[in-house]
Amino acid sequence: SVTEIRSGFTAIKANIQARDTIRTLSILSHPHSLHKVKPLDRCCITHQLFNFYVDKVFKHCKTEDSFVNRKISSIANSFLSVKRKLGQCHEQNKCLCGQESAEKFKQILANYEGLNVTSAAIKSLGELDILLDWIEKS
Amino acid sequence: EDILLPAPQNISILSTNMKHFLTWSPVIVQGQTVRYSVEFQGEYEREYANESWIPICECSLITATVCNITEDISATVAYNLRVRADVGARRSEWGTLKGFFNRITTSLTPPLMKVIADGYHLLVELEDMGPAFQFCVLYWKKGQESRMQQKVVKEVSSVVHLDTMEAGPDYCVKAQTYVEAINRSSSFSQTQCVRAQGSTSMWL
Repeated sequence: SVTEIRSGFTAIKANIQARDTIRTLSILSHPHSLHKVKPLDRCCITHQLFNFYVDKVFKHCKTEDSFVNRKISSIANSFLSVKRKLGQCHEQNKCLCGQESAEKFKQILANYEGLNVTSAAIKSLGELDILLDWIEKS
Repeated sequence: EDILLPAPQNISILSTNMKHFLTWSPVIVQGQTVRYSVEFQGEYEREYANESWIPICECSLITATVCNITEDISATVAYNLRVRADVGARRSEWGTLKGFFNRITTSLTPPLMKVIADGYHLLVELEDMGPAFQFCVLYWKKGQESRMQQKVVKEVSSVVHLDTMEAGPDYCVKAQTYVEAINRSSSFSQTQCVRAQGSTSMWL
């Protein structure tokens, strides 16, 4: 659940954000924050973002710290569990993607691919609170 | 001749109320201390991270034959678990849990509960079972089961106020737990009845 993801992330947030040396760019909030997403597009953006984290981000976040790795595993497995549920919504046409969400997600991917993969993954992981805040507010 | 150290056997999970423990049978080596190490693998690791395993450092080179894996089993997905033994420089193969473990199978017990009549106030004290637990409390006037009322308690505070009682009738209460993360409930606790104090209150 989102609560468990939040508690897992809180335990490693400072450690992960300290590893992010690129302060001038955001993956999730550049140029527009997630908070500008229309309600209709929220489910699709959430689904795409969970896929993004599971498919692209977590595997490049391995650290030398066993505690951090265990928490990343907890978060990744929770994401996988939520991703499955969102996938079911998508299959039942309850989570349709409009033009705007496609554009929004394309921008996030462009931000991600603009960095080397480890930096991009660590930055994305460090921005999890942005995603969680947005999910909990919407 | 360096006999291969046998892998730990009888590996199993004890899981109650979202607390999960891995246990196994001891590996016996006469006159020597055997130590064990535990690793886990979630569905994410199997499908997206090259089937990698993650060590649990609290259960690395331990002499006990039990490991608390609660902290690491923190998603409702299928987990693999394994244990190996070490004696000096000798190391066994991994012994792996037969089948997966998913926390959705944890056994949920009814909550410990204490019903209190404080004057005309019907109160209930619930056991603090951790952040994953909510409680559904049912209460009714004895004999009026059809007019049962319900209160959902999301966070256990010291005491929960249920109702203001009339003098005379008995008031009965029972409770069950609910775990949102796995969307399951326990069975109900035993019913406890009390009567407003100041009207020959007694525990029934």
